[in-house]
Amino acid sequence: MNVTKEQLKQQIIEALNLEGMTPDDIQDDAPLFGEGLGLDSIDALELMMVFDKHYGIKLTDRNESKRVFASVNTMVEYIESKR
Amino acid sequence: MRIVIDGKKVVLDGCQVETKECGEKMLTELYRRYVGDYPKFFKMDTLSKLGFIASELLLQREASLRGVERFVPSEERGVIMGNRSASIVNDREYEKTIQKGDYYPSPALFVYTLPNIVTGEIAIRNKFYGESGFYVVEDKETLMEIVRSSSMKAGIVGWVECRGRNDFEADVELI
Repeated sequence: MNVTKEQLKQQIIEALNLEGMTPDDIQDDAPLFGEGLGLDSIDALELMMVFDKHYGIKLTDRNESKRVFASVNTMVEYIESKR
Repeated sequence: MRIVIDGKKVVLDGCQVETKECGEKMLTELYRRYVGDYPKFFKMDTLSKLGFIASELLLQREASLRGVERFVPSEERGVIMGNRSASIVNDREYEKTIQKGDYYPSPALFVYTLPNIVTGEIAIRNKFYGESGFYVVEDKETLMEIVRSSSMKAGIVGWVECRGRNDFEADVELI
Protein backbone atom coordinates (compact mmCIF):
# COMPACT_ATOMS: atom_id res chain seq x y z
CA MET A 1 0.00 0.00 0.00
CA ASN A 2 1.87 3.06 -1.22
CA VAL A 3 0.64 6.48 -0.34
CA THR A 4 2.16 9.81 -1.22
CA LYS A 5 1.78 12.86 0.96
CA GLU A 6 0.25 14.65 -1.99
CA GLN A 7 -2.41 11.92 -2.38
CA LEU A 8 -3.23 11.95 1.31
CA LYS A 9 -3.51 15.73 1.42
CA GLN A 10 -5.91 15.61 -1.52
CA GLN A 11 -7.99 12.97 0.24
CA ILE A 12 -8.07 15.11 3.41
CA ILE A 13 -9.18 18.14 1.41
CA GLU A 14 -11.97 16.18 -0.27
CA ALA A 15 -13.12 14.40 2.88
CA LEU A 16 -13.21 17.55 4.98
CA ASN A 17 -14.72 19.59 2.19
CA LEU A 18 -11.90 22.14 2.41
CA GLU A 19 -13.15 24.04 -0.62
CA GLY A 20 -10.54 26.45 -1.95
CA MET A 21 -7.62 24.79 -0.16
CA THR A 22 -4.83 23.04 -2.07
CA PRO A 23 -2.30 20.38 -0.95
CA ASP A 24 0.32 23.14 -0.85
CA ASP A 25 -1.66 24.83 1.95
CA ILE A 26 -1.05 21.82 4.23
CA GLN A 27 2.48 21.45 5.57
CA ASP A 28 3.80 17.92 6.05
CA ASP A 29 4.72 18.37 9.70
CA ALA A 30 2.22 21.05 10.77
CA PRO A 31 -0.28 20.05 13.47
CA LEU A 32 -3.64 19.19 11.95
CA PHE A 33 -5.66 19.86 15.09
CA GLY A 34 -5.95 22.99 17.19
CA GLU A 35 -3.47 25.37 15.63
CA GLY A 36 -2.25 24.65 12.11
CA LEU A 37 -5.16 23.40 10.03
CA GLY A 38 -7.57 23.94 12.93
CA LEU A 39 -9.35 20.59 12.74
CA ASP A 40 -11.66 19.36 15.52
CA SER A 41 -13.17 16.11 16.82
CA ILE A 42 -15.73 15.94 13.99
CA ASP A 43 -12.88 16.07 11.51
CA ALA A 44 -11.14 13.25 13.36
CA LEU A 45 -14.17 11.07 12.56
CA GLU A 46 -13.83 12.10 8.94
CA LEU A 47 -10.12 11.16 8.91
CA MET A 48 -10.99 7.76 10.38
CA MET A 49 -13.33 7.27 7.46
CA VAL A 50 -10.55 8.22 5.01
CA PHE A 51 -8.38 5.52 6.56
CA ASP A 52 -11.17 2.95 6.34
CA LYS A 53 -12.38 3.87 2.85
CA HIS A 54 -9.03 4.32 1.10
CA TYR A 55 -6.66 2.09 3.07
CA GLY A 56 -8.85 -0.47 4.82
CA ILE A 57 -7.47 0.64 8.18
CA LYS A 58 -9.85 0.82 11.14
CA LEU A 59 -8.69 3.07 13.95
CA THR A 60 -10.67 2.60 17.14
CA ASP A 61 -8.24 3.52 19.90
CA ARG A 62 -8.66 7.19 20.81
CA ASN A 63 -5.09 7.69 21.98
CA GLU A 64 -3.67 5.98 18.93
CA SER A 65 -5.85 8.14 16.66
CA LYS A 66 -4.56 11.24 18.38
CA ARG A 67 -0.97 10.20 17.70
CA VAL A 68 -1.62 9.06 14.12
CA PHE A 69 -3.55 12.20 13.13
CA ALA A 70 -0.94 14.59 14.53
CA SER A 71 0.29 15.57 11.06
CA VAL A 72 0.42 14.41 7.45
CA ASN A 73 3.84 12.89 8.16
CA THR A 74 2.53 10.75 11.04
CA MET A 75 -0.47 9.64 8.99
CA VAL A 76 1.70 8.50 6.08
CA GLU A 77 4.09 6.71 8.46
CA TYR A 78 1.19 4.84 10.00
CA ILE A 79 -0.30 3.82 6.65
CA GLU A 80 3.11 2.63 5.44
CA SER A 81 3.57 0.62 8.66
CA LYS A 82 0.35 -1.25 7.88
CA ARG A 83 1.48 -2.37 4.43
CA MET B 1 -22.78 49.94 7.65
CA ARG B 2 -24.07 47.60 5.01
CA ILE B 3 -22.68 44.98 2.69
CA VAL B 4 -24.39 43.43 -0.32
CA ILE B 5 -22.92 40.31 -1.93
CA ASP B 6 -24.08 38.18 -4.83
CA GLY B 7 -22.30 35.58 -6.93
CA LYS B 8 -20.52 38.21 -8.98
CA LYS B 9 -19.90 41.27 -6.85
CA VAL B 10 -19.46 42.73 -3.39
CA VAL B 11 -20.63 46.21 -2.46
CA LEU B 12 -19.56 47.62 0.90
CA ASP B 13 -21.30 50.83 1.94
CA GLY B 14 -22.01 51.64 -1.71
CA CYS B 15 -18.47 50.97 -2.96
CA GLN B 16 -17.73 47.87 -5.00
CA VAL B 17 -14.96 45.68 -3.61
CA GLU B 18 -12.62 44.55 -6.36
CA THR B 19 -12.70 40.80 -7.00
CA LYS B 20 -11.41 38.55 -9.79
CA GLU B 21 -13.34 35.37 -9.07
CA CYS B 22 -17.07 34.58 -8.99
CA GLY B 23 -19.26 32.47 -6.72
CA GLU B 24 -17.71 30.52 -3.86
CA LYS B 25 -14.22 31.11 -5.29
CA MET B 26 -14.85 34.81 -4.84
CA LEU B 27 -15.58 34.24 -1.13
CA THR B 28 -12.29 32.32 -0.82
CA GLU B 29 -10.49 35.12 -2.65
CA LEU B 30 -11.89 37.63 -0.14
CA TYR B 31 -10.92 35.38 2.77
CA ARG B 32 -7.34 35.10 1.55
CA ARG B 33 -7.05 38.84 0.93
CA TYR B 34 -8.82 40.26 3.98
CA VAL B 35 -8.92 37.58 6.71
CA GLY B 36 -6.39 34.74 6.37
CA ASP B 37 -6.16 33.81 10.06
CA TYR B 38 -9.17 31.53 10.46
CA PRO B 39 -8.50 28.18 8.70
CA LYS B 40 -11.92 26.91 9.80
CA PHE B 41 -13.25 29.02 6.94
CA PHE B 42 -12.23 26.33 4.48
CA LYS B 43 -14.41 23.76 6.22
CA MET B 44 -17.54 25.90 6.15
CA ASP B 45 -20.45 25.36 3.81
CA THR B 46 -21.21 28.09 1.28
CA LEU B 47 -23.89 29.67 3.48
CA SER B 48 -21.50 30.01 6.40
CA LYS B 49 -18.71 31.33 4.17
CA LEU B 50 -21.11 33.94 2.82
CA GLY B 51 -22.22 35.14 6.25
CA PHE B 52 -18.70 34.96 7.64
CA ILE B 53 -17.17 37.07 4.86
CA ALA B 54 -20.01 39.61 5.09
CA SER B 55 -19.48 39.97 8.83
CA GLU B 56 -15.70 40.16 8.52
CA LEU B 57 -15.76 42.96 5.93
CA LEU B 58 -18.29 44.93 7.99
CA LEU B 59 -16.39 44.56 11.24
CA GLN B 60 -13.04 45.33 9.62
CA ARG B 61 -14.57 48.48 8.15
CA GLU B 62 -15.91 49.46 11.56
CA ALA B 63 -12.46 48.89 13.10
CA SER B 64 -10.84 50.92 10.36
CA LEU B 65 -13.27 53.88 10.34
CA ARG B 66 -14.22 54.09 14.00
CA GLY B 67 -11.22 52.50 15.68
CA VAL B 68 -13.39 49.82 17.30
CA GLU B 69 -11.18 47.02 18.59
CA ARG B 70 -11.97 43.55 17.22
CA PHE B 71 -12.69 40.43 19.28
CA VAL B 72 -13.58 42.26 22.50
CA PRO B 73 -16.24 40.21 24.34
CA SER B 74 -19.64 41.90 24.19
CA GLU B 75 -22.90 41.07 25.98
CA GLU B 76 -24.70 43.67 23.87
CA ARG B 77 -23.78 42.47 20.42
CA GLY B 78 -25.57 39.58 18.75
CA VAL B 79 -26.17 37.99 15.36
CA ILE B 80 -29.56 37.59 13.70
CA MET B 81 -29.78 36.26 10.17
CA GLY B 82 -32.31 34.61 7.97
CA ASN B 83 -33.10 33.26 4.54
CA ARG B 84 -35.64 31.35 2.50
CA SER B 85 -33.74 28.15 1.65
CA ALA B 86 -32.22 27.23 5.02
CA SER B 87 -29.13 25.02 4.47
CA ILE B 88 -30.44 23.26 1.37
CA VAL B 89 -27.16 23.40 -0.60
CA ASN B 90 -25.20 21.60 2.10
CA ASP B 91 -28.14 19.29 2.89
CA ARG B 92 -28.00 18.03 -0.70
CA GLU B 93 -24.24 17.50 -0.47
CA TYR B 94 -24.73 15.51 2.72
CA GLU B 95 -27.51 13.47 1.12
CA LYS B 96 -25.06 12.34 -1.57
CA THR B 97 -22.90 10.73 1.13
CA ILE B 98 -25.77 8.55 2.40
CA GLN B 99 -26.81 7.05 -0.91
CA LYS B 100 -27.03 3.28 -1.29
CA GLY B 101 -23.82 1.69 -2.46
CA ASP B 102 -21.50 4.39 -1.18
CA TYR B 103 -22.62 4.81 2.37
CA TYR B 104 -20.08 7.02 4.10
CA PRO B 105 -22.08 9.69 5.95
CA SER B 106 -19.82 12.71 6.18
CA PRO B 107 -19.51 14.21 9.68
CA ALA B 108 -17.87 17.32 8.20
CA LEU B 109 -20.95 17.94 6.01
CA PHE B 110 -23.42 16.87 8.69
CA VAL B 111 -22.39 19.66 11.05
CA TYR B 112 -23.51 22.24 8.48
CA THR B 113 -26.96 20.72 7.89
CA LEU B 114 -28.49 23.48 9.98
CA PRO B 115 -28.75 27.09 8.78
CA ASN B 116 -28.06 28.62 12.19
CA ILE B 117 -24.47 27.38 12.15
CA VAL B 118 -23.49 30.59 10.35
CA THR B 119 -24.73 32.79 13.20
CA GLY B 120 -22.83 30.62 15.67
CA GLU B 121 -19.64 30.87 13.61
CA ILE B 122 -19.84 34.67 13.63
CA ALA B 123 -20.79 34.95 17.31
CA ILE B 124 -17.97 32.61 18.41
CA ARG B 125 -15.35 34.29 16.25
CA ASN B 126 -16.24 37.76 17.54
CA LYS B 127 -17.22 36.86 21.13
CA PHE B 128 -20.72 38.27 20.66
CA TYR B 129 -22.79 36.99 23.57
CA GLY B 130 -26.01 38.87 22.80
CA GLU B 131 -29.05 37.44 21.03
CA SER B 132 -28.30 34.94 18.28
CA GLY B 133 -30.80 33.46 15.90
CA PHE B 134 -31.46 32.28 12.38
CA TYR B 135 -34.93 32.49 10.86
CA VAL B 136 -36.20 30.72 7.74
CA VAL B 137 -38.71 33.20 6.35
CA GLU B 138 -40.11 34.31 3.01
CA ASP B 139 -38.22 37.57 2.57
CA LYS B 140 -35.85 40.09 4.15
CA GLU B 141 -38.68 42.41 5.23
CA THR B 142 -40.19 39.62 7.36
CA LEU B 143 -36.76 38.99 8.86
CA MET B 144 -36.29 42.67 9.69
CA GLU B 145 -39.68 42.72 11.47
CA ILE B 146 -38.36 39.93 13.65
CA VAL B 147 -35.15 41.88 14.28
CA ARG B 148 -37.12 44.98 15.26
CA SER B 149 -39.22 42.98 17.71
CA SER B 150 -36.16 41.34 19.27
CA SER B 151 -34.16 42.58 22.24
CA MET B 152 -31.06 42.98 20.11
CA LYS B 153 -29.42 46.39 20.39
CA ALA B 154 -26.27 45.93 18.32
CA GLY B 155 -24.48 43.46 16.13
CA ILE B 156 -24.78 41.75 12.77
CA VAL B 157 -28.18 41.37 11.12
CA GLY B 158 -29.19 40.40 7.63
CA TRP B 159 -30.27 38.17 4.82
CA VAL B 160 -27.99 35.35 3.64
CA GLU B 161 -29.64 33.25 0.95
CA CYS B 162 -27.76 30.41 -0.71
CA ARG B 163 -29.27 28.44 -3.60
CA GLY B 164 -26.03 26.99 -4.95
CA ARG B 165 -22.29 27.22 -4.54
CA ASN B 166 -22.22 30.04 -7.05
CA ASP B 167 -25.76 31.30 -6.61
CA PHE B 168 -26.22 33.32 -3.45
CA GLU B 169 -26.99 36.74 -2.06
CA ALA B 170 -26.31 38.53 1.18
CA ASP B 171 -27.62 41.84 2.44
CA VAL B 172 -26.13 42.32 5.88
CA GLU B 173 -25.85 45.29 8.21
CA LEU B 174 -23.86 46.19 11.27
CA ILE B 175 -26.20 47.94 13.69
